[in-house]
Amino acid sequence: MTDGQPSLPASGQETGGQQARSPGAGEPGSGGRAGDQSGGDLGALLGQVARGDENAFGVVYGQVCGHVFGVARSVLRDPAQAEEVAQEVLLEVWRDAARFDAGRGTAMTWVMTLAHRRAVDRVRSEQAAADREQRAARADVAYDVVAETVAARLDAERVRRCLGALTDLQQESITLAYYRGCTYREVAGLLKVPVGTVKTRMRDGLIRLRDCLGVD
Amino acid sequence: MSRFRFRRIDPHTLAGAYALDALGEADRVRFERHLSGCPSCDQEARGLREATARLADALVTQPPEGMRERVMAAAVRTRQNPPVSRPDRAAWPARVAKPARGWWPGRRWGIVIAAGVLAIAVAFGGLAFHTQQQLNQERDRSRAIGAVLNAPDATMMTVAATTRGTVTIVMSHRARALVFTSARLPPLPSSQRYELWLMGRTGPRAAGMLPQPRAGMTAPVIVSGLRSGDMVAVSAEPASGASQPTSRMVMKVVLPS
Repeated sequence: MTDGQPSLPASGQETGGQQARSPGAGEPGSGGRAGDQSGGDLGALLGQVARGDENAFGVVYGQVCGHVFGVARSVLRDPAQAEEVAQEVLLEVWRDAARFDAGRGTAMTWVMTLAHRRAVDRVRSEQAAADREQRAARADVAYDVVAETVAARLDAERVRRCLGALTDLQQESITLAYYRGCTYREVAGLLKVPVGTVKTRMRDGLIRLRDCLGVD
Repeated sequence: MSRFRFRRIDPHTLAGAYALDALGEADRVRFERHLSGCPSCDQEARGLREATARLADALVTQPPEGMRERVMAAAVRTRQNPPVSRPDRAAWPARVAKPARGWWPGRRWGIVIAAGVLAIAVAFGGLAFHTQQQLNQERDRSRAIGAVLNAPDATMMTVAATTRGTVTIVMSHRARALVFTSARLPPLPSSQRYELWLMGRTGPRAAGMLPQPRAGMTAPVIVSGLRSGDMVAVSAEPASGASQPTSRMVMKVVLPS
């Protein structure tokens, strides 16, 4: 784990992405915050997927694959492992679509929660952290393409702006946990602050983030 | 002294770390238990979860070439799960369910691996049959196993034994039956075998002997006559079988209602 250098997810990474094709380009709401603008759509699509509709699953794939792979890649670093986890998550979306409950949150949040949990599970089941770091170092050289649609870039900007409005400690705690998959105890160790402080900063930081992003 | 108690009774401060998946296993389980009894905390956790999910907006990355085809091809081959009959309020998307640790569907590899374990166990089990009668019996048994595995309410779970090893169970209330297989249970002396029990209100009922393991795994055993509220348990017994358990259970599983 790089010592306490969470930084917002690589602004440089996007610009290096040139004009790469967007994930699921051509599909409605692709790459964008499908969960908000067309949350009903994604939720409704999941309903169709639950009934075994493979075409609907194709559309869902287009809407979420960039997010799912992005999260896996951020947490795991290694593109091969990230792909494995992303595939598991997407297959889980297919398998468990009937278990999505719109009363408990948006469809996008459901998918992203699955994705982050699986990525974090994988990281924590890895025995050799050093090994991971090594692979990550190699991966960063080998991996190049980061694709974004205009909508996704706007969403990304908003997230970055809202993260930027947090205190340093809130921001570092949240980014280390989310983008790197650290536990709050690991975050406390990395930042050399008491665990109680980290817990609190994670919570009040997320509350501010929630308000800034206008999430219900 | 009050610090410890305070931590125990006020897990509120964990809401942020929970939303970020930054809790260790023990803290997470404790927090989810707390959520299930605290609607306002649950509400807060949901809001924080929505905010957390937005963090992914900054990460959107084009997946590797060919991933779409691989996922779509895998989906076509993958059976879909029915809706959860008993929604787990705290953990959404459904995680490890309450009764015993290690319930599927849950974290990690889920049903895919458990199904693989069963398939391998079936393959091993299939080697031992010779006579026509045995083959017929085996065919009936396979049919009964298939009926459970394909039941619309089939639920799969894997549980660690108290000694060593794991058991994997697929159960169906509708079929009133379950399929049981084990991996890496400690070997027993030749005078003993593992016996299965259904433990209900009327006490333990013998539910069959586990076959001898091959490569550490036992072939699937079908247990029928399941009643609501039954637990499944395993103990080491004389090889001829016992009508009542005579030793400590090496594992007990509460079945979902």
